[in-house]
Formats: sequence, structure tokens, C-alpha cells
Amino acid sequence: MTDFPVKVQNRSSGNIFTNVFDELIRFARSRSLFMLHYCTGCGAIELPPAMTSRFDMERLGIQPMVTPRQADILLITGYVSVKTLKRIILTYEQMGSPKYVIGICSCTVNGGMYWQSYATAKKLNDYMPVDLYIAGCMPRPEAVISGLQQLMDKIKDGQANSWEDYYRRYDYYLGNQQRLFGDDWQTPTDIIGEAHHYGLFDEGTEGAHTELLKLHQHPLEPLGMTLNAHKIKQD
Amino acid sequence: MENRQQLEKLLTGLSNINLQAGQKRRLRVDVPAKELPALLELLKGRAGFMHLSAISCVDWPDDEQFELVYHLWSYQIDTLLSAHIRVAREPGHYLSVYDIYSPAAFFERDIHEMFGVYFEGSPNMEKFILTEWNGPPPMRKEFDSEGWVNEHFDWQDYHPDWLNEIEEQGGGIAIRPEEQRFSRTKGE
Amino acid sequence: MRPENYQPKQHPASTEYELNFGPNHPGIEGNYAFKVKLHGDKVVEAKADGGYLHRGFEKLMEQRLWIQNIALVPRICVPDPSPMEVAYSMAVEDLCGIQVPERAQWLRVMQLEMSRITAHLFYFGGHAATTGMYSPMFWGVADRDLVLDLFEELTGGRVYCIYNMPGGVRRDIPEGFLQRLSQLLDYLESRLPEYDDLFFSNHVLAKRAKGTGAMTQQQALEWAVTGPNLRATGLAFDVRKNDPYLVYDQLEFDIPTEKAGDAYARTLVRRNEMVQSIRILRQVIEKLPAIEGPIRAPIPNPLAWNVPAGDTYVRLESSKGELSWYVVSDGGQKPYRVHVRGPSAMHAVQVLENLAVGARLEDIAQIMFSLDACPPEVDR
Repeated sequence: MTDFPVKVQNRSSGNIFTNVFDELIRFARSRSLFMLHYCTGCGAIELPPAMTSRFDMERLGIQPMVTPRQADILLITGYVSVKTLKRIILTYEQMGSPKYVIGICSCTVNGGMYWQSYATAKKLNDYMPVDLYIAGCMPRPEAVISGLQQLMDKIKDGQANSWEDYYRRYDYYLGNQQRLFGDDWQTPTDIIGEAHHYGLFDEGTEGAHTELLKLHQHPLEPLGMTLNAHKIKQD
Repeated sequence: MENRQQLEKLLTGLSNINLQAGQKRRLRVDVPAKELPALLELLKGRAGFMHLSAISCVDWPDDEQFELVYHLWSYQIDTLLSAHIRVAREPGHYLSVYDIYSPAAFFERDIHEMFGVYFEGSPNMEKFILTEWNGPPPMRKEFDSEGWVNEHFDWQDYHPDWLNEIEEQGGGIAIRPEEQRFSRTKGE
Repeated sequence: MRPENYQPKQHPASTEYELNFGPNHPGIEGNYAFKVKLHGDKVVEAKADGGYLHRGFEKLMEQRLWIQNIALVPRICVPDPSPMEVAYSMAVEDLCGIQVPERAQWLRVMQLEMSRITAHLFYFGGHAATTGMYSPMFWGVADRDLVLDLFEELTGGRVYCIYNMPGGVRRDIPEGFLQRLSQLLDYLESRLPEYDDLFFSNHVLAKRAKGTGAMTQQQALEWAVTGPNLRATGLAFDVRKNDPYLVYDQLEFDIPTEKAGDAYARTLVRRNEMVQSIRILRQVIEKLPAIEGPIRAPIPNPLAWNVPAGDTYVRLESSKGELSWYVVSDGGQKPYRVHVRGPSAMHAVQVLENLAVGARLEDIAQIMFSLDACPPEVDR
């Protein structure tokens, strides 16, 4: 980790020039968002119409990007099964700050049509902070674009700060993740170190669940399945 | 095999088989479990039933049995034949028909993780869909999906700003969140 | 280091590499993963990994009334939802012995063929994207949107138009619908030569797709391949002709086949199927105004409906292959067991694993898209 913490900018500083500069940065940021191209569920079928020529999303500056390291928005298009949720959390932690999460379709809000299902997560807010929800089943491309415009306005006004909430209350999110995935859940990203780096280390960052995480942390191995596992067992 | 009449004649000639003709291109056969592989070989070899459409499993907890249904389609005589067998629920074992039909591997793997039925001889009995699931086989009748959901997941809190405005004017929602059917805080 | 001083070590482990062609990847159609072992650029072993889209449909359907499942059912296959609705309705009608009125059957055929056109337009955009051409995706999705506009006129839903119910269809077509459909078919037919120029006769596609993921007819029959993938190997089998349902036996259409069995042949089969679907739709437009009658057979009170005990197996031809449903009822108000067998259950798992071995890394995406492997059908 770096030796000196980089503080998050204090928005109510008195200097006019830094305020104007901040506003300019926020304006530029809101006009050139990269959306992560990860189709997580049903709602992804209305994303190509929104991206292509009919309901063109590129005129707003939003382009698909394949790697999470360079993406700004994580679009959770639809329901999230438990298996996908692990990958989404890994992806979210890999994205660079500031980052925004949009929950599309009613399934991210309160379980949607699959509320009785043992395999989908009901409340996405429990596992990662969400900036905006776009309800629908599924929302039309125009609704998706309208939601993205609302996100752009929020970014311009400086109100889309849910990524800070992840660092400030990491213990709460980790607790929910451990409850679903088991106590030995771990990700490669060092959230507490990053919280220090951004100056967002708060009283909710560490707690009982991060203690549990420290007990179970071990060097990384690839998740689950190797190719020849079933052959090995038969020997 | 030329047509369906010849097939029906062949099948009724075998013992222990109960044949029922359904609508136009459907046949139903009930066999004892140990005679199924021989029947499948016969159908594949003599009557051209090359296509295994699906293997379905139905859970009958009252009879303490699993019913396995093998749906076969013949390209020669354009008939669909469903072979029903019953397997005891308690050990939940059966033979695999992978050596006769190779698509059976997918269905047997699926039935294994959803119901818990083990197929001996199937090439790969690892989990495919439920790889990170550590509960009971979910498709069994005794597994209560709604109960599992209430235990493991939370529901959304419901207090948006516009509702506060309505409540200030004297309105509100009819059923409070705490009184809803699935509320975890009900009765507290 | 100077090139002349470089001595590479021949160590087997350094040429083999295990790669996770994971769920977050633009080369995979949908949310699906694929673990491959590479020897340089060639795939040596492959293993499919699904379950990212699992919702437990079969369990969910057991907990809802027969009529409530209609809203749930189209969501099993996302790009091509109409065959799922029709299959469920047909299964319930089989169990109850309900006879669907003729006008409803023609409307169902119309919906199914329109859905087939949208699925093929979406597919071909995806296939083009895997060969590096992105314009066909824009064209395909835009033209597909015009068909979705017509679906929106029917019930208001663009993709999941829940138009069917056991007994018939929910609504009759609006005024002037057939004229608009006819104009749209003229437009699509005029676009086909442009698609040919851009994509199907494209030299790039021919070089990339010929010989990629080739299967012989023997292999296809052994692996239970169905649909356009089987027709691309030369066998003219179509559930609409060999096991007809609805009013397909009164309609005239051909079954396009190709011989080669590779990705190029599969693409051409799908292109020709679109032409045949347009032909079927023109016949429907011609004959539908003459068929009067109810659009729905009477059913008992849907909220207290005990479907008689029994089981039935319904087969349809969706745009991807043979779709079959096995529905068991024990005489109650909720289904006892529903088993959905989507065509991708075979294509996305075993066929893809077998075809990927020996292919190069850049061709895996093309093989997957040309097989039209749809992950929601595998995971349900």
C-alpha cells in the first residue's frame, strides 16, 4: 500500500476555483461512462437495442467495455443467481473507483418474479451498494436510457457516491455475503487497504465479519472446478 | 421396421410390458426397472429409435418411488415412445444408459443433482448447475423452496421518500411491511 | 536479449495453459462459462460450466397455479420466448382435452413464425460479431426491433408477449395488423439481398466459418442434435413436418438443408429458414381473415382449476431446435412436475465440448454462436 493516504476531496471547501474544477470533472465524468458488458440475466436482451442504432446509447457517451478494470458502470441486468452473485462481487471489487451500479429489472429490487426461488438473490442492496434501480420486466430500451440519464445527472451533481458506502460499511456487506456464501468467502481485493488509501476508513469498515475473514484468508486458488476432477475421482 | 403396427406387434409380444397408444404419434410403455436397458437396445436396433429426447424424473413420495421416463423418437417411423420405470426412493440408484445413448449423460447428471438419484456407469456425476449449492436436492417434494428463501434471504425495506409525503397528508399503505406474509419481523 | 542468444526451453507445461472462458466475456452468448485447456492456440480439452442463470423454474412452477405459470414460462428462453408459451398451453390443453379453435391456432402459428424471425435476426448479429464484423449486429437488431413493434401491438410486451393461454390466445389481432405485417415482410425480403452482400456471401465469413466446428450426420444423430444444426448436416428433419402440431400440416413450406455441417452451413440454413418463415407468414396473412370464430376455448374458473391427472409430452420446433416439455398432473390446482428440455441442453454442453476440441481459441466463440446455444435453456 502507499505510504500516504489520498484523501477524498472535501466538497464544501471554500475555494471557488477548486469547486469549478470539481464541477468540470464531474461533468466530464458523467459524459463519458463505460458500461461493463456483462449480461447477467434476462434483461440483457433489451441491451443490444439500447446500444445499437435505434435507441442509440452512444450519443450519451456510454459505450460497452469488456474489462472491469476500465469500466465505470456495472449494469446488473436482471435477476442474480447465487452463482452469478459471486462473480458480480468479484467484478465490482475489481472496478476502479468511482464506480456506479445500476440494478435493472424488478428482480434486483425485491426478488421480482422469482421471489420463491432458492437460487436467486432477492435484495441486491444487501451485497453491494446500488445507485439506481430501473424497474420493469423488462424495462424498455427507452427506460434504460432514461435511467442512465438520471445517473448522469446524479453524477454531475455529485450525488452518486454509493461506491464510498462500500468502503465505509464494508463489514455490513461482508456480513451479508458471508451469510449467503459461507464463512470462508474471500475475494482477491484488499478492501480495507483500499479504504485506507481513499481515506474512507470508517467505523463500519471493520467489525466481526472482517475478523472472520482474516481467520479464513488464504492464498488464492482458482475457483472450484479443474478440468480433470471427475477423472481423478474415478482412479 | 416399417410402421407403427409392426412396432406395436413387436412390443406386445414381449412379456412384462404394458403398452398404451396415445394420440397420433405417441406410445407409452411401462416396464419393470431391470428390463429397461434391454428394451432400449431392442428399440434402437430394430425400430430405429436413435434419438433420446429427454430423461425425466418424477418424485412420488407417497409411493416411495421415483419414476424415470425415457422419451425416444424414431426417425424411421415417426413415433415418440415414452418408457416409464419406477425406482425405489430410498437407495435411489439406477443403471446408466450412457452406453446406449450418449446424450443420457446430461440428463443423468441433471437428475442426480436435482433429485439425488445415482446412475451407475454414467461418465460424469459431478454437479453442473448447482456447483455452489450445499443444501438438499432441491427438486424433491420435501424441500420447501419458500421456507429456504425466508431463512436465507432478506426482503427490501420499504420506506421511500414519496411515501413519507403521502403519509404526512394522512394516507399510507394498507398493509404495513411488518404484517406482510413473508415479513421476518412479523409477530415481534 | 539478442534474438540469437535466445534459447527457448522445451517444457511441456509451458505450452499448455488452462483458461477460464468465463461468464464475463463478450464471446460467450449470455452468462455461461467454458473452461478450456490450450496447447498453444489449439484447444485440447474443454468443459462447459453452466448454472449462472439457474432460477429453479421447475420448482417454481410446482408452487403456482396452472394459470399463474403463464407469466413465468416465456422467461425460460430469453431470445425466443414464444415457443415456450405455446408449449405450456398445448400441454395443459392435452391434459384437459381442450380443443383449440381454429382461429387461435392460426394466430399461434403467426406468433411462432414471427418469433422465429426475431430469433434468427438476433442470432446472425451475434455470429457476425464473433468473426469481427459488427455492422450485421446493428442491422439485425434494428430489423428485429421492427418485428418487436408488432409484438408490442398484440399485448404490449416487446419480448415477453404473454399472448397464449391454455385454450387459445388472449386477444384478437388489432385493426390493420395484417397489413402492417405484410409491409414488414416486404421490407425484410428487400433487406435479404443486402444481408447477403454484407454477411452471407462475405469472403471473410466464408474463410472463418467453412470447416469450423464441422460435424457429420452420424455424429449429429448420436449427440441428439436437433434443429438447424441437424439440418446443416443434410438430414431434412423438422418437427413441424414430421410431428406436426397446430396447423402446420395445412401450410406449404420447404425444409432447407445443407451438406457440410460446419458453421457456414448452419448460418446458411438459418438464413434460408427466415425465407421460409416469411413464406409461411404470407400464407397466414392470406388465410386468416377468412377464418372466423372464437379465439379461446372456454376453460373453467382459472383460479380453482383442477386439471385431470395424467402426463403429456409436447414437442415443438423452436428456432434453436427441438423443444420438449413433459408435464405431469395429479389432478390438483398446481402442476405436479414440469420438465423442460430445451434444445441447448444438448448443444451448449456436450456438442460444444466435443466440437471445441481441436478448434482454435478464436473459433470457440464462433462455434458457440453458430450452434445457437442459449444458456437460459440449459440452466432453466
